[in-house]
Amino acid sequence: MSTLKSMEALVSNILRVGVLMSAALILFGLTLTIVTGDTSCPNGKMDLDWLIMGDPFFGPSHILFLGFLTLIVTPVLRIVASIYVYTTLHDNAFTTITTIVLFVLVVSFTLGIG
Amino acid sequence: MYLPLYVIYAFIISLGSGGLGAMLGMGGGTIMVPLLIFLLKVPIHIASGASIIAVVATSSAAAVSYVKEEMTNMRLGMFLELATTIGAVTGAFLIAVMSEAALRIIFGLSLLYAASTMFLQSRKMERSWAQRPNDAIADKLHLGGNYFDSARNESITYGVSNTPITFIISYVAGIVSGLLGIGGGGIKVPAMNAVGGVPMKVAVATSNFMIGVTAAASALVYIRNGYCDAFLTAPVVLGTLAGAFIGARLIRHVRGVDLKKIFVIVLLVLGLRMILSGVGV
Repeated sequence: MSTLKSMEALVSNILRVGVLMSAALILFGLTLTIVTGDTSCPNGKMDLDWLIMGDPFFGPSHILFLGFLTLIVTPVLRIVASIYVYTTLHDNAFTTITTIVLFVLVVSFTLGIG
Repeated sequence: MYLPLYVIYAFIISLGSGGLGAMLGMGGGTIMVPLLIFLLKVPIHIASGASIIAVVATSSAAAVSYVKEEMTNMRLGMFLELATTIGAVTGAFLIAVMSEAALRIIFGLSLLYAASTMFLQSRKMERSWAQRPNDAIADKLHLGGNYFDSARNESITYGVSNTPITFIISYVAGIVSGLLGIGGGGIKVPAMNAVGGVPMKVAVATSNFMIGVTAAASALVYIRNGYCDAFLTAPVVLGTLAGAFIGARLIRHVRGVDLKKIFVIVLLVLGLRMILSGVGV
């Protein structure tokens, strides 16, 4: 039971930190847009290079996308954490289930970002 | 200085839908997308793109307090995520080949579906929810659970029945989620509640918990395909987060039945408008 409690605390913390970080990035990016009036943004399809490296790196739109990316990665970290917990619990069924979910996410990111 | 009105309107719309969404486990996208389309004249692909990212935010934010209050059934959630994530990826790829009109009609139909299942449920008394034992799969995976209902001041133990059907409906909910940029809670909550026999509040909290992973699976496909307008998505995400923060704190003090009645009407009106706009009326 204590393991379940610690898992709940871990999940709760991951989600909180992820949401706060991305909200801060998005708020900062939006404020920057409003103050500078710089609405330049690459049109059309995005690639991973732009999302991570970005050009201009501290452009308002790039900070916004970093915020969106942080938000998207947060639930993925939650899955990674739960795989770890289920492994230590020797819960084979749930280790398998959560690993497949992670696999699907990674495949979708790979296909999505190409 | 650059602050167009649509940024402020988008924030207000998402504040309201995020709050309601968190209380109903619907992520908020269900109301937000139609409002963005009708009030701000945003194309459906872009509205869905903003929504799906905001939906990740709502889910994660609301889940923080749900998980702490132990209303979330994490085992059930992670099991059903298997179905919803595969569905979400399927849906996100389908959106690229769908027209604006087709998407509006499908969106409208899913709103009407959610309205009808909620209406059927709200006619029953909340107390008529009957405790069911785990079926064979739920028993093997220990999917049942218990939670403390603060509105009734009692501890409630429940099992999960009809697990295979609940799983299949969750897959469909995943497709709808990826396709329309919504959380799909309107499908998952009734599935867990009516089919699986899980108490309403647990179904809401668990659906909300799952939605983040489901939406994350399709959100990057949206961004990659250019369906993410950063200057619309930013106020939408911030508004939804603020709304979800308030909504997750209100749910403890509201009875499930009252919530559903309000929502049935909202869903019905938006669903009909969406279908009519799709067929060009």
